[in-house]
Amino acid sequence: MPLTKLHKATILVHTPVGKEYYRIVLRAPEAAAAALPGQFVMLRVSETMDPLLARPFGVSSIISKSSLELYYRIAGRGTALLSSLEPGQRLSMHGPFGKGFPVPPKGSAPVLVAGGSGFPPLLFFSHRFGARAHLFLGARNKECLPPPAVIKKFKDDLEKVHIATEDGSRGTRGVVTDLLAAYLSGLDGKVPAAIYACGPRPMLAAVSGLAAERSVPCYVSMEERMACGLGACMGCSVGVKTGGYKRVCKEGPVFEAGEIEWGCRESNESKGSEEFLTLKTP
Amino acid sequence: MISKIKTKPDLSVDFAGIKLKNPVLTASGTFGYGEEYADFVDLNTLGGVIVKGISLRPITGNPPPRIWETPSGMLNAIGLENPGVDVFLTEKLPYLRKFDTAVIVNIFGYSFEDYVAVAERLDGVPGVSGLEVNISCPNVKAGGIVFGTDLKAAFELLSAIRKATKLPVIAKLSPNVTDITEFAKAARDAGCDGLSLINTLLGMSIDVRCRKPRLANWTGGLSGPAIRPVAVRMVWQTAKAVPLPIIGMGGIVTAEDALEFILAGASAVAVGTANFINPRATVDVLEGLETFMTEQGVGAIGDLVGKVSAG
Repeated sequence: MPLTKLHKATILVHTPVGKEYYRIVLRAPEAAAAALPGQFVMLRVSETMDPLLARPFGVSSIISKSSLELYYRIAGRGTALLSSLEPGQRLSMHGPFGKGFPVPPKGSAPVLVAGGSGFPPLLFFSHRFGARAHLFLGARNKECLPPPAVIKKFKDDLEKVHIATEDGSRGTRGVVTDLLAAYLSGLDGKVPAAIYACGPRPMLAAVSGLAAERSVPCYVSMEERMACGLGACMGCSVGVKTGGYKRVCKEGPVFEAGEIEWGCRESNESKGSEEFLTLKTP
Repeated sequence: MISKIKTKPDLSVDFAGIKLKNPVLTASGTFGYGEEYADFVDLNTLGGVIVKGISLRPITGNPPPRIWETPSGMLNAIGLENPGVDVFLTEKLPYLRKFDTAVIVNIFGYSFEDYVAVAERLDGVPGVSGLEVNISCPNVKAGGIVFGTDLKAAFELLSAIRKATKLPVIAKLSPNVTDITEFAKAARDAGCDGLSLINTLLGMSIDVRCRKPRLANWTGGLSGPAIRPVAVRMVWQTAKAVPLPIIGMGGIVTAEDALEFILAGASAVAVGTANFINPRATVDVLEGLETFMTEQGVGAIGDLVGKVSAG
């Protein structure tokens, strides 16, 4: 049988970009040909049994039709191990998996919102569909924003990039959802075609609320700890309004914001805990 | 020097009356209902698929977080989320029936009556080769583990299921007991045809910075290579104590791992958590078994079952 989702991906480029952020380009032609904005791949950072599980990474770009670009931030053992790997090394990779962002109507001006290290899927989206889009980037401080090279890419692909940091070290002081609310209110009743968001759960919940108030379609990329990435382990479930759970890896990671039961899961992981098994901060 | 045989080794197994073309199965809960692995595994190559646990009614499962990675293993507390036996029969089984592989349905209930009812529903259903009775899930308060850690309850439940179906009944035993062979004997006395062991080991992990459990369920089942030596030991003890065929499982990643279980006394093996890290783990194990048998001049896989010895 053809195994189009099982890869030995060769590292082509692997460089630090900004504080604790890395950019990695992996040669995997079948994955590169198939990947859509919002989808992710599962990458094993080691062939040993510890760490055991593959890590999910949102695809940030397709490079020359045969390679995938990923960005990650060192946030635990898995990513620390990954950061030590050299170009030429090969990694087990599965995917691409999941349901990506819906394609916005042609010529429309979507709004994108990226919190913290949640930018990679939106980078891919921007390159494909972002010509008239506005992006809202939010982070605790300027070090937590995407690396400068990424912000430049966003600026090249998009109509405008708005930045907010909670400590005011870059852009507007405050949370990105306040900046977004002000922007939406300033549109004088005109609403964007859709909002596409990726970032921490509280941010996604707030964006979802803003979109609902204005009846704007809103799509959020969710994250949850994940073992298999292909719908079998049932580990990455998120609560939905209709009752029960849906799998981030299969029915998501991109969901209609109105589908998610935002109240049912508080973030219970400490800042210093291992990042791993979550989609956007691998 | 061992002479190499030219003919293909015989991997077929008659497991409690279930014809398996080879001893490689999928452990319940790690392979969905087969379709999840369609991009990676031709199900026709597998000895059989043990599907994710099925109950009488749909179950939504536990709140997240449901999993946590541990050294060479993982904890899970999924809570037996499943669509229920009706959806299984109408939506999941028809897919599996398209393949030439044994389908073993893992069943569980929240009460004695639930267990029996789901066994009755599956009796005589074309395409179902056998039942694996989960009396050992550590993550559901009212179900599984109550039966899996109480000898009398286990015996009574398995006896009732035995009466409710003509299908081969395989009891999946909990390792969270002092002496697993006692439960194997209870399963034999209840008329079970085979045993699966082991289920996950009950575990726990704590996020020390926020002083909270890693899992919303607080505790979860430990699986993966970390538990393999425990599982091999329990298969070995049980095989010596009870003359029932055993499906051995617990941290199998490679053919060598599978062979440990077979030499310890397992007639078949199930690949579990390894499916998550390598979606083709089952096929890799199978190919490795064939290679090993060819290299070692082993004609039939049955010749290796229980053949560990001090030499």
